[in-house]
Amino acid sequence: MAYKRQFYPGASLPAKNRRRFMDPTQEMKKLREVAMEDVVKILGHRVPGSEYKSIHPPLEEGTEPDCPIRQMVKPLEGAKAGDRVRYVQFTDSVYFAPIAPYVRAWMYLSRWRGIDTGTLSGRQIIEMRERDLEKLAKDLIENETFDPAKTGIRGATVHGHACRLDENGLMFDAWQRYEWNADKGEVEYTKDQVGIPLDVRVSVGKPATDADLRSRTTIFRADGVDMNDDEEVTNVNLRIHKLRTLSGFQPWKVKE
Amino acid sequence: MSDISTEAVPLPEIMIFPKRLLNADTTEKLLNRIHGLKHVRQINLHGESLPVVVNYGPGKGHKVDHPQRRVIEVKGEKMELRVQVGRIFVEVDDIDNVQEVSDEIERICDEILPFDFYLEVGRYSKFKPTLTDYLRGLR
Repeated sequence: MAYKRQFYPGASLPAKNRRRFMDPTQEMKKLREVAMEDVVKILGHRVPGSEYKSIHPPLEEGTEPDCPIRQMVKPLEGAKAGDRVRYVQFTDSVYFAPIAPYVRAWMYLSRWRGIDTGTLSGRQIIEMRERDLEKLAKDLIENETFDPAKTGIRGATVHGHACRLDENGLMFDAWQRYEWNADKGEVEYTKDQVGIPLDVRVSVGKPATDADLRSRTTIFRADGVDMNDDEEVTNVNLRIHKLRTLSGFQPWKVKE
Repeated sequence: MSDISTEAVPLPEIMIFPKRLLNADTTEKLLNRIHGLKHVRQINLHGESLPVVVNYGPGKGHKVDHPQRRVIEVKGEKMELRVQVGRIFVEVDDIDNVQEVSDEIERICDEILPFDFYLEVGRYSKFKPTLTDYLRGLR
């Protein structure tokens, strides 16, 4: 019998949302449109329209050593051209952001290749070849994993994911990279991800309502869906915990 | 507004814990109302630090220009608000007056804060100089 890939256990809403984000066959909804030029500005790695800097000659020049792995793996566009590796980092508020850092890691590794990702308490970094990173960052800003108020694009000083929201419902940001435009009811980026002011304000759209966020969230919370209420998720977590503990301590006691 | 003074008995404090981080305008309004209350001895503010400049990384040296970091005026006295306020501690001059002040604060908060909050009574800040204060020459 062929193995059927599984993604995440559970029947609760966050579990279903997690499963959907992690499954590469499920298409993600696009909620907003942000121009590529604006995404490049927010990332802050190069001036929009300028050439990509390279760290090695294009692969087509054939200077790579002969290697079976190199023949098997089809390189991404950025790798073909020899682009630098650049990064984007997202911070997700604990107040029902559409996605949480650890789920991001699972989703990234399940859906895309050519990335290196790292999880920290409130943020998730992606490292990737520059031109591929820009496309991915654009997708991630435009799709349903992003909420203008509860998700932040922050290269440094990411503090705020566990802070209370401000009066406008925005996640706290000590560097104030984005601001609330009360007239439009939209969130606008005024700085790039490391706090350098932008020449134009980049709108990332209207924040979702609380009810909408609660229906889309992948976060288990005591005041939302408690993880303990989802029996299958709890059992899988307990099993992982037991196996990890015993296997590093008394592996002969692991019977299943 | 705080100063380092020794009390024989730690005086009670009422903590105002709003559901949202307060804007400078709201903080200013709230302080002006609470500062005028009878039996209020001092007010301490806690919150998230708002730096003046980006202090590291490629953007080091750029001004942050956070709209919530500004000079506020409380009862005619100007002071720079350097945090986005998350908790306010109101020290009351005697334990017998806590209920009266607490009721007043609740009424003011209901009026000013457009979101939920809760009040708690306890002692949250130091009430006598610490060894560090002594070493710094503050006492």
